[in-house]
Amino acid sequence: MTRFLPKSLVGQLLLLIAVTLLIAQAFNIFLLYRGAQNQHLSEASAAAVARIVGEIERMNDSRYEERRERRFRRGRRVIPLLSDAAPAVPDAQPLRAVTERAVQAFVNMGLSIRTVEVWETARLPAALQQSVIGVGRGRRLTEEIRRPMARKPARPPVRGFVVVSAELEDGRWMSVATALKDRDVRALRPLMIQTVVLYLLLLVPLIWIGRYISRPLHRLTKVANDFQPGKNDPVPESGPPDTRQLISAFNDMNERVGAMLDEKDIMLGAIGHDLRTPLAALRVRIENVADDVERERMIAGIEDMDRMLDDILSLARLGRSAEPMEATDISALIETVVDEFDDLGRDVTFKRGERHVVKVRGVLLRRALRNLISNAIAYGNNAVISVEKSGDDLSIIVEDSGPGIPDDQIEAMFDPFARVEGSRNRATGGSGLGLTLARSIARIHGGDVRLENRPNGGLRASIIITDGSP
Amino acid sequence: MNETAHILLVDDEATLREPLADYLIKQNFRVQQAADASVARSLLNARDFDIILSDIMMPGEDGLSFCRHVRERTDIPVIFISAKTEETERIIGLELGADDYITKPFSPRELVARIKVVLRRAAGNGQKSGNNKGAVYQFSGWTLKTDQRSLLDESGVNVPLSSGEYQLLLALLSRAGHVLNRDQLLDMTQGREAHAFDRAVDNQISRVRRKIEKDPKNPEIIKTVWGGGYVLAGPVTQI
Repeated sequence: MTRFLPKSLVGQLLLLIAVTLLIAQAFNIFLLYRGAQNQHLSEASAAAVARIVGEIERMNDSRYEERRERRFRRGRRVIPLLSDAAPAVPDAQPLRAVTERAVQAFVNMGLSIRTVEVWETARLPAALQQSVIGVGRGRRLTEEIRRPMARKPARPPVRGFVVVSAELEDGRWMSVATALKDRDVRALRPLMIQTVVLYLLLLVPLIWIGRYISRPLHRLTKVANDFQPGKNDPVPESGPPDTRQLISAFNDMNERVGAMLDEKDIMLGAIGHDLRTPLAALRVRIENVADDVERERMIAGIEDMDRMLDDILSLARLGRSAEPMEATDISALIETVVDEFDDLGRDVTFKRGERHVVKVRGVLLRRALRNLISNAIAYGNNAVISVEKSGDDLSIIVEDSGPGIPDDQIEAMFDPFARVEGSRNRATGGSGLGLTLARSIARIHGGDVRLENRPNGGLRASIIITDGSP
Repeated sequence: MNETAHILLVDDEATLREPLADYLIKQNFRVQQAADASVARSLLNARDFDIILSDIMMPGEDGLSFCRHVRERTDIPVIFISAKTEETERIIGLELGADDYITKPFSPRELVARIKVVLRRAAGNGQKSGNNKGAVYQFSGWTLKTDQRSLLDESGVNVPLSSGEYQLLLALLSRAGHVLNRDQLLDMTQGREAHAFDRAVDNQISRVRRKIEKDPKNPEIIKTVWGGGYVLAGPVTQI
């Protein structure tokens, strides 16, 4: 159920207001309708009362009976029924409030009436056939009732009748019925128009206000999502004061984070510089060592230290890479790395497939791939690289035929300075940061690095990057 | 080749500068040391040098600014020696007219090899990389941007090149239409990177072809000339 509800702030606000407005308006319509209904009944009974009053006045005429007869003969309509007892009205609903008003009307006219009864009924008693107000002339009432919508009638169809019966002084009852017209649907039209206008008047500014509130929030969310420490432009402060304060706090935070990172960069740069210079001095002096074997070992030691330094510094600076994301031919990128190993005489093959173009930071991605291939060669003596595409994900897969890694140790391999436990080969070298770095680089590209043992032995390492990343 | 080439070595770190000077002297160079850019400037006014080796990060005036100063007055080639390895800075160094760049810690033998390459290029009419700065070459639907060292295809997709491949392509482009033999290509491309030495030119050519040719077996852009050599065919525009 909740999944049909709007998710956004504006959507929920609008829904809430729309529903509230709808309920209020429905209540309004109900009240109006009931008021109109009462009014209608009062009017109907008032008409009947007026007829009865008129008829009573006619009774003062000495030739009243004769004239009444003539009216019947001529088929005049609305001749109040005179009967000895109150007419039997089927399914009658006594209308108390209206009755009181009718009594009041008779009293006001100065007529003495014994009792007044007012009913509402759906069917007209046969006796009152000729004592009905408000029904078309010459048309059979029953027919009109039976097929109210058969033709579009000039008048709205009859919904029921109000019967007013008054007990006269002489004990006879005089009764007149008034047809109750069905309320025309068209009568509700102004109300509907009113509702629509109300909606427009309210919702248009509400949407505007909602956007006013939510747009800066959206912008903030987007910036926070793509948060690149210290590299974000300040989010423009707009919207209501609360939102402005939030954005301003965010901008301040961004600035502080940036300043901290700048400081870190400067420090790392200094460390890199200050460590490399003595390393370089040492490297120069090593040339003076006469023993070839000794010299080569010292050189290898310095190169190891340099690589380690490089890895540590890259890892520390990773989030702040100045390199732009560029649409890149991934196969050509892989080839470039594979060729480096090929030049060193390593057993590295690339199963070239179709061309894939993805936006990446090429230098970083090459580094990640280089690390995985180095591992494959160090532990498996060879590497086979292939590319797989599934959906938006592009996987660069490096497979070796080494011993693999026990399943329970795979995740730990990503920890900095982790090494395969019990690895005999301490000479595999490396900083112990290779996988950590590769994973961080893949994550910058919206992906990850995964390690799994191949069913037939060896390790399968995949760099997954997400295509269509910004 | 001038075996007693005169080197100006600028580095604020005496621990590196002094043993390096000793090493270079042993390699038959004459070396003058400067602890900072201002000393280097005055030495530059007083004497003739064949090549300058300069650190980038130095107290006072830094190496980039010093290199600009050198470029404004003289044609003395400059090799930067720096701890910074970020790819972007490598580009900046070459952009400013430095002829090469080597990162600490470096192999002194490699440094000497590079010094010799740069000196040889400077002595001959060899193409100086400093002259190419910011150039953009367009050929057969491809674009090579030298400021970013990037090769783009028709739709702007970056096709990564190794340094060796880049140097080779740049050499062929700068002499488009001319046949270059293997020695010439080696001369124009080597000395940039540590591992650029051992690569066979043919191997590099086939790698570049694999990346840019529609059918690497029937190359239309980089053609082999019978009798030893390669030529970049088709029109090249330099922007």
